[in-house]
Amino acid sequence: MSRSVLLAPVTVTPSKPLTPSHLKGLLWADVMYRATAQVADVTFRYSHTTYHPTEQTLGFWEFLDRTRGDTDYTTLSESQIGELYVRYRAEGHPQAAEDLYPYAQAVEEHGFVHPASERVLRLWSAHYARLGLHDPGLLGHQPPELDLEEMVEELVASGMGLDQRELGGRVYLDATRFGLPLRQIMSAEGRPNYLACALRELLPLAARHDELVLLYDNELAPDYRLLAQVLGRQGAAVHHVPIGRVPIDGRVASARHGGWHEHTADTLVRDLAAEHTPEALRLGMRLYFIAVLGPGQRESFRPDLLRKHVSRAERLVARVPEAAGTRPSVDTLGRYRRGHTHVDPYRLTCSLLGRAAAPSLSLLSSVYL
Amino acid sequence: MTLTSRRLLTVAADRLRSVRPELAAELDLSTLEALLAAKSRVATGGADTPADGALVVCVVGRPALSVLVRETCRFASSVPYERARPWQRAFTRTVFLAGQPGNLRDRFTFAHVSGDGSVGWLGPAAEQDTEALRRLLKVFHGDREPPAWAPVTVTVPPPPGKSPSLRRPRHRDLYVATARVAFSTLLVQVNHLLAEAVLDGLIAPGDRLTLRSVPWLTGLASPFAALRVDEDTDSPHGLRAFAGLTEET
Repeated sequence: MSRSVLLAPVTVTPSKPLTPSHLKGLLWADVMYRATAQVADVTFRYSHTTYHPTEQTLGFWEFLDRTRGDTDYTTLSESQIGELYVRYRAEGHPQAAEDLYPYAQAVEEHGFVHPASERVLRLWSAHYARLGLHDPGLLGHQPPELDLEEMVEELVASGMGLDQRELGGRVYLDATRFGLPLRQIMSAEGRPNYLACALRELLPLAARHDELVLLYDNELAPDYRLLAQVLGRQGAAVHHVPIGRVPIDGRVASARHGGWHEHTADTLVRDLAAEHTPEALRLGMRLYFIAVLGPGQRESFRPDLLRKHVSRAERLVARVPEAAGTRPSVDTLGRYRRGHTHVDPYRLTCSLLGRAAAPSLSLLSSVYL
Repeated sequence: MTLTSRRLLTVAADRLRSVRPELAAELDLSTLEALLAAKSRVATGGADTPADGALVVCVVGRPALSVLVRETCRFASSVPYERARPWQRAFTRTVFLAGQPGNLRDRFTFAHVSGDGSVGWLGPAAEQDTEALRRLLKVFHGDREPPAWAPVTVTVPPPPGKSPSLRRPRHRDLYVATARVAFSTLLVQVNHLLAEAVLDGLIAPGDRLTLRSVPWLTGLASPFAALRVDEDTDSPHGLRAFAGLTEET
C-alpha cells in the first residue's frame, strides 16, 4: 500500500494581486503535488475557508464595508482591490472584537466570503487555469474539521495548549518542553491568528497521514517549527519546506505595502501568453521560479531571465516527441525523493535544465504542463 | 481601624520605611505625590539599588485562587534566609509569566511547583539566571475581574524537608478586593502581601487562612495585621487597599 502524503502550503490572503513571491510558492507546491501524485497517495490541502477567520482578512472586510459601503467589486481588478488592502493596513484604525464578530460568525455559520475577496479568488482561478496549476478549490467552501473550541481542547489535553481565557488571558501554543517559545494563538476575546486556524485544519488531518509536508514562506519559519512539533505528535513524519521570497530590485517587501506595479501574475502571464504557447508558458514559469530561483531568496526577480526560460521551455517541448521515453520520466521520479515520500520539486525541475535532458511527454504532461 | 486615605498613606509609607530603613530619612513620605515619587526612585534604582539576586519568577498556568494563596505561602516559607533578605529589600519583586511548569521542569530548576502543576516559582535569583526562561515565556495577562467567591480556608503546608513551625498554628482572614481589579492585578497584590507576611513571620507553615472576597476593603471593621496598599488610578485618593490580612481570629 502506498504511503499517504498531506501537502499543506501556506495560503495567500485573497486581498491583493499575486506577486512573484506568491507565484513561486504556488508553482513549487504544484510541482510537488503533481509529481508526488505519480508515486504516492497525496492530498493537497489549500483551503481559503480555513484562514478567513484571521484578523487580517476579517479586518479588511470590515474596513471595506465601513469605508466604502455598498460597492460593486465585480468590475475591480486585483490591483485595485490590493490598493484598498494597502489603505486598510496603513489606516491603523483599531478594530474591536465586536466589530469583526458579524464577519467571523458569517464565515463559521454559512461560509461567507466578502465580494471583494470573492472577486480576487475568481481572478486567481483564471490565472491558475492559464498556468496549469491544480485548483485546490479556490471558490469552494472547505471548512476545517475542528471548531476553535475543539482545537483548543485537543491542544490542552495533549499538554501543548495553555488556555487562560477564564482569567481574562489568552490561548497559547505551548511547545516550551522542546525549547520553543510560548506562542499566542488566540486573544482573550477569542480572536484566532493564522496558527490557530492552521491547527483546526491540520491536527485531524496529520493524524490520518503518514507524511506531512509544510510549505511556507521563510519569514514564518519560527511558527512553522512550532506547528511541526505539535503535528509531529499526531504520528505523521513532518517535513518543512521553507521557500524564500522573490526580491524586487534587491528588496523583499510584503504585499501589504503594495508597490507590485507591473510584476503581478496578471501582467506577467498576459505578456508572456501573447508571445508563447500555453505549454511553454507553464513549463517556462516552473523552470524559472523553481530551478533558477531555487529555495533561497538571493536572486532578485529578472523578467528577462523569466522570458528566456519560457523560450527555452518552448524548445524543450518541441523536442519531446522524438525524445519520448528518455530522462527524466515518471518512472525515475523515485530519484527525487531522498528518504521521504514526496518528490523534491527543485531537484526534479533542475534535472530538466541539464544539457542531456529530454523529459518524457508523460512527465511533462502530468507534472509541468 | 477604619480605612481612610490618611491611613492608606501611612501604611504605604511605613512599608517603604521598614523595607528600606536606611532611606527613610532622605525620602519625603508625607504626601501621596511625595510617596509615589519616592517609590519610583527606589524602584528604578535611583536610591541605592538593592543587591541583585532578588528576582522571583512565577510561572502561572491556570491556578485556582486557593491554590495560589496556599502555594505562595509555601514557596515564600521555603526561601532560605540569605536569599530572603535581598528579596525583601527589593520589595519581593516578582515577575509573572504565562506557562506550564510541568513543561519546563526538564530545562529549568524550580524552587517550588504546586502539587497540581498549575503554578511554580524560580528564585529569588539574579536576573540573568532566569533570562532564558523569561525569553521563552510571555508576561501573564489576566484582564478579567475574578467573580466573588464563597469563603474558603487553606492550610499553609510546611516546605519539604522542614519541620512544621514550633509556634502554635494561627488562623487569619485574608480579604481581597475584587471590584475593578483584574486577575493579574489581584495576583500581584496578593503575592506581595503574602510573601511579605511570610518573611515577616506573620504567616508560618501550619497556619490557616480564610480567603474572603469583598468588592472594596473599605468599611471592614477587622483589625489588620498587614494591608496591601498600592497606587490605583480608579480610586479618588490615588491609593487603594487591595488586600488585607487580619489579626489572629
